[in-house]
Amino acid sequence: MKYLFFLLLFSLTLDANEAQNIIKKLEKNLRGDYMYGTMKMIVTSKRGQRTVKIESWSKGNDKSFIKILYPKKDKGITFLKLDTQMWQYIPKIERTIKIPSSMMLQSWMGSDFTNDDMVKESSFEEDYHTKLLSKRGNFATLELIPKEDAAVVWGKIIIDVDIKNAAPLKETFYDDRMKKVRILTFSKIEKHGSHTIPMIMELKPLDANKKKNSTKVIYEKIDFDTHIDASYFTKHALKRYSR
Amino acid sequence: MRFTLALKNILKSKGRSLTTLLLSLFTTTLFIVYVAFMDGSHHQIIKSSVEIYTGYAHVNLKGYRDESDYGNLIEDASSIDEILRNDTSIKTYAPRFETYALLSGDEKSVGSMIVGIIPSKEEKLSKLASSLSKGEYLNDNDTNAIYIGIKLAERLKITIGSQIAMVGSSIDYSIAADIFTVKGIFKTGLFDFDAQSAFVNKSYLDSVILSDNKATYFTVDFQNNDHINKVTSALQAKLPSQYEAVGWDSLLSSLVQAMLVDSIFGYISISIFFLVIFFVVMIFSYVNIYTRTREIGLLRALGLTSKDIFIILFIEILLLATVAVSIGAIIGGVIAHHYELQPIVIDGIAEMYKDYGLVSDEVPMHFDLFTITWNALTIFILNLLAIVYPALKINKLTATEAMRYV
Repeated sequence: MKYLFFLLLFSLTLDANEAQNIIKKLEKNLRGDYMYGTMKMIVTSKRGQRTVKIESWSKGNDKSFIKILYPKKDKGITFLKLDTQMWQYIPKIERTIKIPSSMMLQSWMGSDFTNDDMVKESSFEEDYHTKLLSKRGNFATLELIPKEDAAVVWGKIIIDVDIKNAAPLKETFYDDRMKKVRILTFSKIEKHGSHTIPMIMELKPLDANKKKNSTKVIYEKIDFDTHIDASYFTKHALKRYSR
Repeated sequence: MRFTLALKNILKSKGRSLTTLLLSLFTTTLFIVYVAFMDGSHHQIIKSSVEIYTGYAHVNLKGYRDESDYGNLIEDASSIDEILRNDTSIKTYAPRFETYALLSGDEKSVGSMIVGIIPSKEEKLSKLASSLSKGEYLNDNDTNAIYIGIKLAERLKITIGSQIAMVGSSIDYSIAADIFTVKGIFKTGLFDFDAQSAFVNKSYLDSVILSDNKATYFTVDFQNNDHINKVTSALQAKLPSQYEAVGWDSLLSSLVQAMLVDSIFGYISISIFFLVIFFVVMIFSYVNIYTRTREIGLLRALGLTSKDIFIILFIEILLLATVAVSIGAIIGGVIAHHYELQPIVIDGIAEMYKDYGLVSDEVPMHFDLFTITWNALTIFILNLLAIVYPALKINKLTATEAMRYV
């Protein structure tokens, strides 16, 4: 009996370690020291479909600079994220505005992503307890429950992972009442330098009023092997690189 | 005979009768005044919320109440305008376009509700114009002018003539941005409203967020707003099926429920007081009846049954309660009516209850005949119930026991 108990405990510990290793590799793969990319964001809602083209520069997980390239009406709008703070520059009114915390849950550029999604720094590895739910060949399903002191908004996240490529396939987000609220799916995994990245991700809110909504982000260019000048991550950059 | 005996007993024991009468009269008056004051303050809070901005009814797309986003707009505002214009039950109406945007002064940025209004129409529908605190109210030709809540102005650290940037979303979800000059500052007294709202001329806002001929809803003031469910149902029948007419009680449902909960707590508080009064009346009756034990024993010896005795005691309290409750109801009613017309002024009460939406230190009572009637009946029934136990108890004694009772 005692033997069985230890065997069970040992296997649970192994599962937890394995789950932790999968998450660690996944996050390391998705994050480079620097990343430059251009992407297309297709937002579908009750009011129709809209395409936004974006150019982005980032350093680690806490600094990023985004510039809107298209549509023409929004061209030159820039966003700067430093840690958990966010600023935007609007060329039409020549103003740099800090986005206050009260606006963090507002939609970003009319998409299903919120401002908070853009600035959050939560790390699956650091902020969540990980549990391996299933594993079949190169595919695993993990359950992530937030740690007690983690500043995250989700009650639970279930992630399907491609272990071989250390890439996510699907993330299902639950609120604090354990109600499923949105699904993020990933596809078209490609190798870029030492990283294997899903080039397409699609966010689908599950709210009954947002049945027609979805936001698809398609990476057109992505480069992890580049050095980005520190000048991009200053408030002066908002106006300077807007043009 | 029983009635005559009861009447004689009342008149014979003047002190006892007067005490019972005054106790019931005071309780009735107090109950009616308390309820009139409580209902009055609730009516005042709801009336303020309705008349300051919300309005008596809204017409909006079905689903807008659940998800107030650009997916649930009135896409052809002119067609709704035409229906409302031809409805004779409507006194006045106006379209509004409510959106949420970032307002930014020189130092601070604040997320706020921005509303496109037709200033001349809104003047007749809400208290926005009359709530002007500084500067000027908007007019229908204004362009980059903004009319802003006093608390919001304080949060943004701006005043009349200051320029503020607005960054929001156009209805095609592109970024909408513009610079506005503060034309006026208003103070309604509704704390959250003054801290989170700003108004601009709708025709100009339409050009900024591309919302021409669109509205989030129409606000409606009927010729007679007393039976709001009836008039909104009649309006609903005239609207295309995808739209709905919603009365103020649904628009302010959370406030109405808060008032209901407050009323329940109010009634619980006053019930405790009544429980005390009930036992005082009962103990008083008990003592009174027992002081008359020998007299009751004599009546029993003369041939009256215990039922007769019970009826005599019951008629006594019935007569006293009828007189006391009637006078109490008249006094309570007169007080309620007087303070409905000339409200009580309690300095600082608006500040204390600002979160509830109380905007004035004047608290009118609410005079309502139905409420007064059920208040009075409650006290009347309590009085009758108070006599039951002592009367039954005394009737258990035999005539001999009663006559020997010291």
